[in-house]
Amino acid sequence: MTTKTLLLAALLAGVALPASVLAQDFNPDASIRIGSLYEPQNLDNTAGAGQGINEAFNGNVYEALFQLTDAGSVEPKLVESYEASEDGLTYTFTLKDGVTFHSGDPLTAADVKYSIERVTSEASKSSRKRSLSTITGIETPDDKTVVITLSARSISLPYNLSYVWIVNDAATDITATEDGTGPYSLSEWRRGSALALERNDSYWGEAPTNAEVVYTYFTDATALNNALLTNAVDVITSVQSPDSLAQFAGNPAFTVTEGASTTKELLAYNDRVAPFDNVKVRKALARATDKARLLNSIWGDYGTLIGSFVPPTDPWYVDLTGVDAYDVESAKALLAEAGYPDGFEFTLDTPDYDPHPIVAQFLQSEYAKIGVKVNINIITANEWYTKIYQEKNFEATLQEHVNHRDIVFYGNPDFYWGYNNPDVVKLVADAESAGSEAEQVEKLTEANKIIAEDAAGNWLYLYPQIVVSAANVTGYPINGLNSQFFAYDIQKSE
Amino acid sequence: MSTTTMTAPADKKSHSLALKAGVVLVGVHIAIGLLTLVWLPYDPTAMAGGRLEGPSLLHWLGTDRLGRDLFTQMMIGSRIALIVGVGAVTIGAVIGVTLGLLAAFASKWLDDALAATLDILIAFPTLLIAMLVVAASDTANLWSAIFALGIALSAIVARLTRILAKRVLVMDYITAARTSGSGWPKIVAIHILPNIWPTLSVNFALQFGLAVIAEASLSYLGLGAPPPNASWGRILQEAQGTVYTAPLGAIAPGIALVSLAIGVNLLADGLRDTIDPTRRAR
Repeated sequence: MTTKTLLLAALLAGVALPASVLAQDFNPDASIRIGSLYEPQNLDNTAGAGQGINEAFNGNVYEALFQLTDAGSVEPKLVESYEASEDGLTYTFTLKDGVTFHSGDPLTAADVKYSIERVTSEASKSSRKRSLSTITGIETPDDKTVVITLSARSISLPYNLSYVWIVNDAATDITATEDGTGPYSLSEWRRGSALALERNDSYWGEAPTNAEVVYTYFTDATALNNALLTNAVDVITSVQSPDSLAQFAGNPAFTVTEGASTTKELLAYNDRVAPFDNVKVRKALARATDKARLLNSIWGDYGTLIGSFVPPTDPWYVDLTGVDAYDVESAKALLAEAGYPDGFEFTLDTPDYDPHPIVAQFLQSEYAKIGVKVNINIITANEWYTKIYQEKNFEATLQEHVNHRDIVFYGNPDFYWGYNNPDVVKLVADAESAGSEAEQVEKLTEANKIIAEDAAGNWLYLYPQIVVSAANVTGYPINGLNSQFFAYDIQKSE
Repeated sequence: MSTTTMTAPADKKSHSLALKAGVVLVGVHIAIGLLTLVWLPYDPTAMAGGRLEGPSLLHWLGTDRLGRDLFTQMMIGSRIALIVGVGAVTIGAVIGVTLGLLAAFASKWLDDALAATLDILIAFPTLLIAMLVVAASDTANLWSAIFALGIALSAIVARLTRILAKRVLVMDYITAARTSGSGWPKIVAIHILPNIWPTLSVNFALQFGLAVIAEASLSYLGLGAPPPNASWGRILQEAQGTVYTAPLGAIAPGIALVSLAIGVNLLADGLRDTIDPTRRAR
């Protein structure tokens, strides 16, 4: 537990954990074996490869102009310096010197242009395509300079560029091979089982503290846990339930760390339809939900209550758990005020995988106390996508929202939950065209408070991000934002 | 020869023992199922205890993740299993016997067509057909699961009925009845059903066990009765993630399921030995 507290403290202070605090000696030629449930379908993050490719490649094999750090800040990576024009529509980036791809080609402005266009192209399946849609032109006046012009101000441009891998423009078929600038290069990919990275000895930056990283893929969480127990892997990237931790917690051979994920368990109402168009009804349901008890049921002592859609790693986080706190009596009073003194009945479309069915039963039991009857309708993930996300044909649903910095969804009245508050729409739009990061943070913090006051959704809890490792392995990322798992600081003592 | 005479009485004894065991196992489940109609230790949806409490005087089998009493859930599971078994077998019997008799009486081409259709249906596992039927219906609930299992079982019943009825239909006394002017409803009621009933009823008992297991499988896959209906399959599924810390959540529905299925099978075996005249003669 002390390790956990220490790591949490480090997280809260927003600093990277100095690996030397935990391990004095390490083997610089160690091989780090990482166990994961997320095997990439291919090696290209613009070709529907899944989150596993971000886990294995982001920051390890490929680098971007900027990097989203594990603490949630955006820092220059391949960019030496950059400046925005007065009107915020032109960004000029100067690239770092001495950066070469694994193939030996030097990094040039043309590679950057090629890489961005790869993401924004017609064929790209990147989930980040839309956020880069304001880019109207990319100029390369010389080998070290990239000029991006925008159709509208976009304060998030550096952040959005942190998702864009810089790929050698001469590389072909990067769905099965790679040519990046990162501290590791791909040494072997055995489809269906493992992906091995080896240290890039001509890396431009600081050398990794290990020689090799092997991602081994499992389809079953129990098998993954057993692999760590039997020393077949050194680290598990994300633990899915607190109960499998019983095998590791309290055992000095293992370290359990809890970081802050960005995955939010959400009871989403269809705010377009009665009675959920009534803010009093939404607030009543929020107050009738004992979230602390729910979180304990699902995650035991892990996880966080946030009171809104914003996790602590987003810059516009504020603790809003005090808004519409658990209070059954005031929930009843609000329902009566809203014109439902005897409650009402609604259907809760519940995805069929854990933890949603159990969360649904919890809510059913809680809301019965204020006279609200919940009918649970179990649906598959595909049904959720078509019926709810596309057709918006539902009353209420449960979903885990994994994205980082996704409060902007509340600024889109056409989003599946149909929340439409002109103030929030304006704040989200203004935040994007803000002149400074401080202004962006101020506006989105304001939006965050408004959605909480409006009880736009019922944010039940934030999932924990739990990493378990052998005790002799340290230095891995604890938050795993955007599924990233930077391997270059991992140290292993023998 | 001497071994045969030696083992025969022992066999008979073990058979009657099996029957008794079957009656007891099934009887316990029926008693619990009936008891749930009038009394339960806790409200099944009430979160009466803490998370994953172990067995105690308050909670005999402990609690689940939401703090609900597991013993209460298990009792309701018995009731649901019995409802599913009876419901599915009844639907399967009505549809199956009707179709089987129809095929037995039908003209050759209709009989062939029905027989081929039944063979195709039986080629699919019961669970798969049931899953298809559930998937085709809009919402998954207990009744759609029962209906789906009934449909799936009816093919097996129909084929058995057809064969048994055909065997009876060629008997001399049927020809006699026909020549004396009996219509087919009378032939079915007086001659065929009483003749094939013993074999069918043994088969129904076996199908009952099949239906209970299949419903648990459907619920396990999320296609059975929606929560909070405490089907054993659902309890098992929800306990899967906590099997290391609270193994009772998975063990209890497993034992319940196995005990009812074995009980029904023993009962069916025993029934066959008492009812079936050829076996009784041995």
